Amino acid sequence: MSEVNMPAHPPVLDVSNLRVAYGARTVVDGVSFQIHRGEIFGLLGPNGAGKTSTLSAIEGLVKPKSGRLLVDGIDVQEEPLDAKARLGVQLQSSSFQAELTIQQIARLYGGLYGVKLSREQIGTSMRAIGLEQELGKRFKQLSGGQQQRLALFIATIHNPLLLLLDEPTAGLDPQARRGLWRRIEELRGEGNSILLTTHSMEEAQAVCDRVAIIDHGLLLTVGEPSELIDKHREDPRVLSVAHGAPTLEDVFIGLTGSEIRD
Amino acid sequence: MTNARVDTARPPMGLGMRSLLRADTIVMLNSKTSLVLSALLPIVILVATTFGKGQSRLGGSALIVGLALTLGLLTSCLLGFTLALAHDRDIGVLQRLRVTPAPNWMIMTSRLIVQVATNLIASVIVVIVGAIVHGLTLNVGQYLLVIAVAILGAAVFLAIGQALVGLIRSTNAISAIGRLLMIALLLLGVLGGTGILGDTIKEISDWSPVGALMTLFSDVLNQSAWSGQDTGSLLACVAYVAVFAFIGIRWFRWESR
Ligand SMILES: Nc1ncnc2c1ncn2[C@@H]1O[C@H](COP(=O)(O)OP(=O)(O)OP(=O)(O)O)[C@@H](O)[C@H]1O
Ligand SMILES: [Mg+2]
Repeated sequence: MSEVNMPAHPPVLDVSNLRVAYGARTVVDGVSFQIHRGEIFGLLGPNGAGKTSTLSAIEGLVKPKSGRLLVDGIDVQEEPLDAKARLGVQLQSSSFQAELTIQQIARLYGGLYGVKLSREQIGTSMRAIGLEQELGKRFKQLSGGQQQRLALFIATIHNPLLLLLDEPTAGLDPQARRGLWRRIEELRGEGNSILLTTHSMEEAQAVCDRVAIIDHGLLLTVGEPSELIDKHREDPRVLSVAHGAPTLEDVFIGLTGSEIRD
Repeated sequence: MTNARVDTARPPMGLGMRSLLRADTIVMLNSKTSLVLSALLPIVILVATTFGKGQSRLGGSALIVGLALTLGLLTSCLLGFTLALAHDRDIGVLQRLRVTPAPNWMIMTSRLIVQVATNLIASVIVVIVGAIVHGLTLNVGQYLLVIAVAILGAAVFLAIGQALVGLIRSTNAISAIGRLLMIALLLLGVLGGTGILGDTIKEISDWSPVGALMTLFSDVLNQSAWSGQDTGSLLACVAYVAVFAFIGIRWFRWESR
């Protein structure tokens, strides 16, 4: 693929001036950022910062109060189905029908994304993620890590242009976490873009090309992890929490404060 | 995962709908409660009513079969369907489906189709069992009419159920209100219909969902000539479907919080 030579591509995701409110309460307040082809973008922020709400607006689950959302140039609000066809989604908390087996879940979501999967293909894919023994099991009978792997498989079943992962490594053991990082990098290698949220600064530095820090619905800063450290290393709020040379975590805590959130 | 990227077009609707229908059918077949509610409970009533007082008069038998049919529809649509939908909304099943390119109406229609099909099959079984244990002889035309009325009944109670889940977010509240509503509708339709609660109540009862449906079922089973009362009942049912389906679709809350 020679996508690098084709600047004509619109950004995979273009969020401009996004505002999301629940009732009278604004939880995403004028957020703007872009994600380009083949980029892994991390959204960082304390609990309740508005990360999931930002993703929900992109996924079409909540209607933004204002702002514009373009997926590959397609307006999410005007052509939601076309936008959704280009998105792969792993929600922070979601579940599959409890009565369906893994095999049946894979067939259902394959069908919904327009991918016909034979029994053999499903078997092969499940072997690749270590779930071949669980094909006949129900979703509820899987361990947390197995559920995560299945959810990621379903999210990528149609090889989406943009993958939205909401805290994909929460609750995973270190091995599984590394496995997921590897998988994310593979997907990027295939030309996909990824937007993920995480609370782990280590993860953000290990896999993300660029990160944004948001808090109270406001986007505080965006850039490459090393860039952010450079940019904020003189900030007194960052210096006051740093032990030695500032890290990304120091920048994060410096910018978002150290009190505990809801 | 070496699929070619499908980033040019949205997936075909037919494949999506088929996939949903298959999944919803599997879920329905696996959920024992919905089968029990829609067929087993009415059959228990049919069998139980053959003991004790002998139902020799045809009108009595037809009324009981009509009641059993109505009860099956009422419980499976007003409780089975609504609680399953509310539960799926609570735990995020609906959310996961909604972030796919399947439109909302498709997700809902697939569920409704599977529910109506289940009610149909259950109704046919109930009529056959009812005819046998209560000694009714029915012709093919009557069976077809029973099916038609069962579809109408399922539509009425599903529309009411849809409005219930649509407007109320809490699964517990839906469960409680659904049960109360069911009892109220049954009492009004059955007890009110006998006239022992007075003429005004009888009048209201005849126009209530259960009352209207019972009128249609027993007239079909009795092979009575089409009456003005039947026309009224039919129109009432259609009106209930229109009003409640509109409310339940227009104001449906997809999120449980
Ligand atoms: N459906 C909702 N109705 C009302 N308020 C909501 C809803 N969803 C989220 N909120 C509120 O909006 C704010 C932002 O929530 P959001 O889930 O976007 O945060 P987050 O950054 O994803 O947090 P976390 O790291 O804990 O997942 C929170 O204060 C939350 O309580
Ligand atoms: Mg979140």
